Parts: sequence; structure tokens; C-alpha cells
Amino acid sequence: MSYGNNSMKTRKTEYRFLMPAIVVVAIMTQFPFLLTVIFSTLRWNLSRPDLPRTFNGFDNYLNFLKIESLQHIPEFYSILWQTVLITGVTLLLCSVVGFILALLLDHDIPGVNIARTLMLGPFFVMSTASGVIWKTTIFNTTFGWYGVIAKALGATPIDLVSYHPIGVIIVLFTWQWMPFFILVLLAGLQGIPQDLVDSMRIDGVNWLQGVFKIKLPLIMNHMRVAIMLGLVFLIKEFGLILVTTAGGPGTRSYTLPYAVYMQVFSANNVGRASALAVMTVVLTLILVNLLYRSIVKRNARYS
Amino acid sequence: MSERTLVQVQRSIRMRHVWKKVLMTALVYGIAIAYFFPILYMFLSGFKTEQQAVMPAIFFKPTLETYRKVLSDPTMYQYLRNSLFQVLVGTGVSLLLGVPASFALVFGRLKHPESNGKFYLWFITTILLPPVAVLIPLFTWYQQLNLINTPYGLMMAYVGFHTPIVVWMVHSFFSDLPGEIFEAAEIDGCSKLQQLTRIAIPLARTGIISAGLLVAVFIWNEFFLGFNLTGNPTATLPVYMSRFREQQGMFVAQLSASSTIAVLPAIILGWMTQKALVKGLTMGAVKG
Repeated sequence: MSYGNNSMKTRKTEYRFLMPAIVVVAIMTQFPFLLTVIFSTLRWNLSRPDLPRTFNGFDNYLNFLKIESLQHIPEFYSILWQTVLITGVTLLLCSVVGFILALLLDHDIPGVNIARTLMLGPFFVMSTASGVIWKTTIFNTTFGWYGVIAKALGATPIDLVSYHPIGVIIVLFTWQWMPFFILVLLAGLQGIPQDLVDSMRIDGVNWLQGVFKIKLPLIMNHMRVAIMLGLVFLIKEFGLILVTTAGGPGTRSYTLPYAVYMQVFSANNVGRASALAVMTVVLTLILVNLLYRSIVKRNARYS
Repeated sequence: MSERTLVQVQRSIRMRHVWKKVLMTALVYGIAIAYFFPILYMFLSGFKTEQQAVMPAIFFKPTLETYRKVLSDPTMYQYLRNSLFQVLVGTGVSLLLGVPASFALVFGRLKHPESNGKFYLWFITTILLPPVAVLIPLFTWYQQLNLINTPYGLMMAYVGFHTPIVVWMVHSFFSDLPGEIFEAAEIDGCSKLQQLTRIAIPLARTGIISAGLLVAVFIWNEFFLGFNLTGNPTATLPVYMSRFREQQGMFVAQLSASSTIAVLPAIILGWMTQKALVKGLTMGAVKG
């Protein structure tokens, strides 16, 4: 090989390219995560500096997980359920409605790119801004569009943010994430070769069959990517919940990241907050893994 | 006779086609405008006075009064400046670290042939890590080092979380380049650094620019770390927006003008990246 002699040297350059990124990412993400795991085994309350930080094993976890009697199921389980519910329903809506809208936007319509661009907009809006905008200009019962239209129709508007906090969060998450699904699915639809679509038409495949038996299976990989990325980003979302419902009423719209935040900055309990943070990571990994497997299985069935 | 009916049938089919297209167009535009409406209305309301903005209305006499008021507030500039710092420095450093790393992962010969894949996977799994998992140690370090009141602590956290995204996207753009170019360059005596700066970066520049723009949008919009790792003098625009959460439908014009300033740059940058966004984010995953 022509570079046999200096291969040691080039290899060194390659590590020089690679190592700075690895070191910085490790110090800023993986190392703090390991510390979080260690903190989660400590008894450590910031508001009680007089108490020593002591090792207490899995006590922080048990505090959340232990079910003493069926009448008093710890709050953790409802927070876990709310996290899964919000993420799951949002992803379901995004993939079903997103697929339908992607089919619609796949038509050859004059200026369709303008429509596509408009629909992509919400994806790039910061979640705190979209939260306050929806809350004040749409959901407000007196001054918002919802309140005004409901009154004009003779109905009494209700305070959706406090009566249906989870519904409101799901609507806003869906509004923000569906554009991403449309973008990815549309790319998939446009990648289907034209002669396949033509031969579908000649063979007399009807519309429904064409969509569900041919197009959908063909873009399953795109769907998989969209759901996976959506899951990863939605499960850690925090700002939108803070500005719309602030987790309330009570803890009815808490999600795991929100609960971690409250444990640190309201309860000052570093140990318990860390345990919750670790469980958030575990939940993310479990869901990503489940999703990955189920979709791989389905792919195998189709191919 | 039969010829005429054929023409009529053709015409009626064509008419049905036209009608279908008109309906489809109306439907698509209707949905798109309704979907975009909250942003559109925010944009419009920024040009109202507070009195005009109390009740929802689309038609009104526009004025720049509210913008004048919002932009004369020095704290607004402070948030804007902090956000710009995070975006420019954070994105710059992420690219500086991420682009050479992706080059080494795609074209480099590491110690073991399988190392390239392993390191790449390591970067990808970092994307899965939610920021809550690192908040507490970072917060305690930053308090001890007094980094809460400087922009550098937050910037480093952003670099840590966005370098993997750069690696992920740029990796897929570098993978499109033919490896033979670099072999030829190597024989001609081109160093690795020259191969990166003179060949790889110019050839993949659209991809790298879009990766940078996407990371810029992510940093501009990031709230969780920005909220928890900054103090008043270092807070960013998303933190500023969150302070409007308690105002129960009041000050709609001010809210709208401020959020237009906060939201519009990200939407425009985002629109510019949309093609590369799909390619960069899905390529590796769709293929594999």
C-alpha cells in the first residue's frame, strides 16, 4: 500500500479529528449522566445542608415505585402513565393524520410548495412561544378565538387548559410535530417510482388498496424514522408544559421531565430528582427499543 | 352521432378532472392556512395597539407602535443578544468539533475496522439522552464555578448536545462522496487535514451548511437547559417568552410583537433547511 509507511501518522491525525468531539460530548453528556446515576443513590436534600449526604441504596427509587397498598398507589405511576399517554397519542395522531396530509400534499396542485412550506412552519416555532400564543390568543375563554367563536355559536366556552390539560398538551404537541411527519412521509411518497404508480393505475388497483397495500408499506421506513425521532424529542419536552398547564391542575399534567424539575427546584431533593431522571432515561430506552423491534418485525413481514 | 357523444364524454371527463383539481387545491390551501393560522395571527397582532388586540380581529388599521415599544425595551436586546451568542458560538463550536469527527468516522482508518461504526453509534445514542439526565450535575458544577451568570456554561452544554446531531447529519452527507477521491489525494501527498478542508468540506458544503442551520434552529429554540442553567443576565429568548405565561389574555399585542421577533428567524432558517433536513435526518436511518 502506498501509504504503508505513514499509516501510523495518518491514524494519529484521524484520532486528532475524532477525539475533541468525543471528549467534549462525553464531559457534557455521558459523564454528568453517570453522576446523576450516582446521585440517585444518595440521600441529598439541598434545603437541609445540615444533613450529611449519605448512601441510601435504592431508597430514592423505592420512594417512587413501592406500592404499599392498592388504595395508595404512588403518584409516580400516574406521572409515568401521563408521560406515555401524551407521547403515545401525539405520535399516533402525527402518524395517522400526518400520513393523510402527506398524501394530500403529494398531489400536483398549482403552487403546492407554498402550502407545504406553510404547513412546515409550526415545527420551527419555539415551544414556549407556541404555548403562550395558543393559550392567550386561542384557548382564552374571553379574549381568544375559541372563546369568541363558542359564544357566537351560543355555547359556553370552558377553560380547556384547566379542564382538559392533557388534551391541550396533546393538541399543541401534535400541531408542532405533525409538520415533521408530513415532511418525512412526503419525501417517502415522492421517492416512489412513477412507473410503479402508473402500473398501479393500469392494473386497476383502487385508491384505498393503492394507499394501504402499496404506498404505506413502501414508506414504512420513513414512518419508522419519523416516529422514532418524534418519540425521542417529545419525551423530553418541558417548556410547553410549563407555559400552558404548569403541570396542573395538581399534578394531572406532569410528565417525567417536569417532575424532575419540580423535585430539584421545588422540593430541593437532589437524590429523588436524580432517581426520576434515571427512570426517564430508562423509559426512553425501553420505548425506543420496543418501537424499533415492532417495526423491524413488521418490515420483515412485508418484504 | 357517435363521434359527438365521444367528444361530449371526453369533455365531461375533462371537466370532472378540472373540478376535482379545483376542489383539491381549495382543500389543500384551506388546511394549510388553518394550520398556519396561529402564527399568522401572532404576526398580524404585533401590528395592533393593545386596545385593538383585546378582541380577535383579522382586519384592522396596522401600526408600528407596539414594535416601537417592544424594541425600546433594553431587556429585549439583552435576551436577543444572549440568544445570538448561544446560536453563533454554540453552532460554530459544534460544527468545528462535529465535521472533522464525521470525516474521521467516514473515511478514517481507525485502529480496528469496526471502530468507525462503534463510535458513530455512540454519537447516535447520545441523541437519545434527555437533558433532564444531565441537569443536576451541570447545575451543581455551574453553581460552584459561578458559570450560571456567564453565557459559557450554557454554551458548552449546547455544544455537548448538538455535536452528535452534526455528526449524524454530516456523516450521511460525507458518505455520499466517493472514497476514491481521497485515495487519489493521499497518493498525491495530500494530508488528512487538506483532504478535509480542500476536498470534503467544499464538496459537502450544502449539507454542512444545512446541518449548521438546523443546529442553529435547535439552539435558538432550546428551553430546558436555557431556563435552568442561566440567571437573569444570561437568559435567552425562549426564557423570555415563558415569562408571558401568567398573563391571562392580556397584552396580546406586546406578546405578539415579541414572539414574532423570537419566532420568525427560526421559521425562516427552518424553511431554508427543509430539503436537507429530510435527507440528513432520514438517510442513514432509511437505508439501514
